[in-house]
Amino acid sequence: MAAQGSPYKLECRNITHTFRGEGGQEIVALQDVSLGVYDGEFLCILGPSGCGKTTLLRIFAGLVTPDEGMVYLDGQPSMDTHPDKGMVFQLDATFPWLTVEENVKYGLKLRRLPKEEVESIASRVIHMVGLSGFEKAYPKELSGGMRKRVDIARTYACNPKVLLMDEPFGSLDLFTKTRMQAELLNLWSQARKTVVFVTHDVDEAIYLADRVVVMSKRPGRIRDIIRIDLPRPRSVDIKVSEAFGEIKRRLWTHFEEEFAGVASEAPAVAAPA
Amino acid sequence: MSVRSNAKPVEAKPKRAEADTARKRTIVSICSVVTVLTLYTAISNSGLVNQVLIPPPQAIARTAVTLWTQENLPIDILTSLMRVLTGYAIGVTLATLLGSLMGWFWFIDGVFDPLIELIRPVPPLAYIPLMILWFGIEERPKIMVITLGCFLTCIINVITGVKNTPRLYIEAARTMGATNRDLFFTVAIPAAVPYILTGLRVALGTAWAILVAAELIAAQRGLGFMMTNARRFFRTDAIMVGIICIGLLAFSMDRGLRYVNRRLTSWMERREA
Repeated sequence: MAAQGSPYKLECRNITHTFRGEGGQEIVALQDVSLGVYDGEFLCILGPSGCGKTTLLRIFAGLVTPDEGMVYLDGQPSMDTHPDKGMVFQLDATFPWLTVEENVKYGLKLRRLPKEEVESIASRVIHMVGLSGFEKAYPKELSGGMRKRVDIARTYACNPKVLLMDEPFGSLDLFTKTRMQAELLNLWSQARKTVVFVTHDVDEAIYLADRVVVMSKRPGRIRDIIRIDLPRPRSVDIKVSEAFGEIKRRLWTHFEEEFAGVASEAPAVAAPA
Repeated sequence: MSVRSNAKPVEAKPKRAEADTARKRTIVSICSVVTVLTLYTAISNSGLVNQVLIPPPQAIARTAVTLWTQENLPIDILTSLMRVLTGYAIGVTLATLLGSLMGWFWFIDGVFDPLIELIRPVPPLAYIPLMILWFGIEERPKIMVITLGCFLTCIINVITGVKNTPRLYIEAARTMGATNRDLFFTVAIPAAVPYILTGLRVALGTAWAILVAAELIAAQRGLGFMMTNARRFFRTDAIMVGIICIGLLAFSMDRGLRYVNRRLTSWMERREA
């Protein structure tokens, strides 16, 4: 529930942030960005590299303090990291010195919860991500996709109000990625949370989201917010449906600028006789 | 199964290839040692060299037995061992404790780093005259100098390890609610264990180096003392016995450490053990 009359679960207002480079040059990562996320919604932030989407997510998480602007969770200011704002990173952040089980229990142990509760939450979450049987394995023994599940399980175990995901499937191959996307939606439908998911993959954004926020770069700002009216539950083959293609066409117009000036395939030249 | 394929089976590593290389390497190492020993024996017994300066292995072996049974070799060994172990244990414990704190808390680093860097350039042995004046000619000066040497060698590894804690792990832990204290104990230290173990290993070498020199300078018992004594009577065979003893002791301690290293860091991904 949002307090103080705010309709949003998670919100940022007037976020401006600049990076100062080594040579003194300044890059405006985000320019006056305001965005609200509804309770229980799956929101995707879509944009090319360098558009500030990761920076925005990190500001939401509290890992970065913006030069200007505020972040609100349930209507209250929330500028620092907090277990209510769980984050799954792009790279593998599982602690290699802990087993799968110990990784998942990490956040719970920090809170000094009673042992039985920790055990039951951990085993439930490990089962939810499909890693039952691998509790005693070390991350080095697991594939990339499995480590990603440990990441997700670990964050889910902390029961955050909001789940922030920074291109979590970016390093996976297409088949694993597609499977993980479907499993994420499955997991999300069982234990609904507010999700903010950053990606540069148009298909991924449309498939997963209730709404897609399109960002542009230099400076980073919101170009458009599009509602995805595809029905749930969404099976994987929705990606090749007409409705999907329609939405994709709409989104694609936003990215035409990105490809302006890029030379396309030259017409075939007849070989000299 | 004797098939070698290039495809990596899911979740398994090609252990057969690793074991083969390890076995071959052991054979090569054994051959290397045997060759050197054979050459030495041949040269010494050839009649072309002065057998007082290059004692033949037979003489060394005989002298070893005599020293062990009729003279004070066991006491010398124990005395040297005690000095090394005491100095080493105190030195690396202090280095690990202080180094961890210095690597994490800027204030502690600021206080101790300049002091350590000022002391470091002076070889620990140079402090022996001062230590003798302060503490007399008993065990204390020798142990203190060994402690100092181990401390200095080990601490730089510990500090590096803690300072190099991957930011990704720190951020992941923070988003799960870890405080600075939590981060220190549950992320920084475990992540630094490989570095700390490296520090332990190099400090061991330092310990033996300083011990022998310290005993050569000022001792009434011990292997270094035994060797200085032997020099006065041109007993190169006894000197060799001393060298072999030191070599065996240092070698076994290092092997022991390597074993501990492997067990404690079994979670790491490695090219070879």
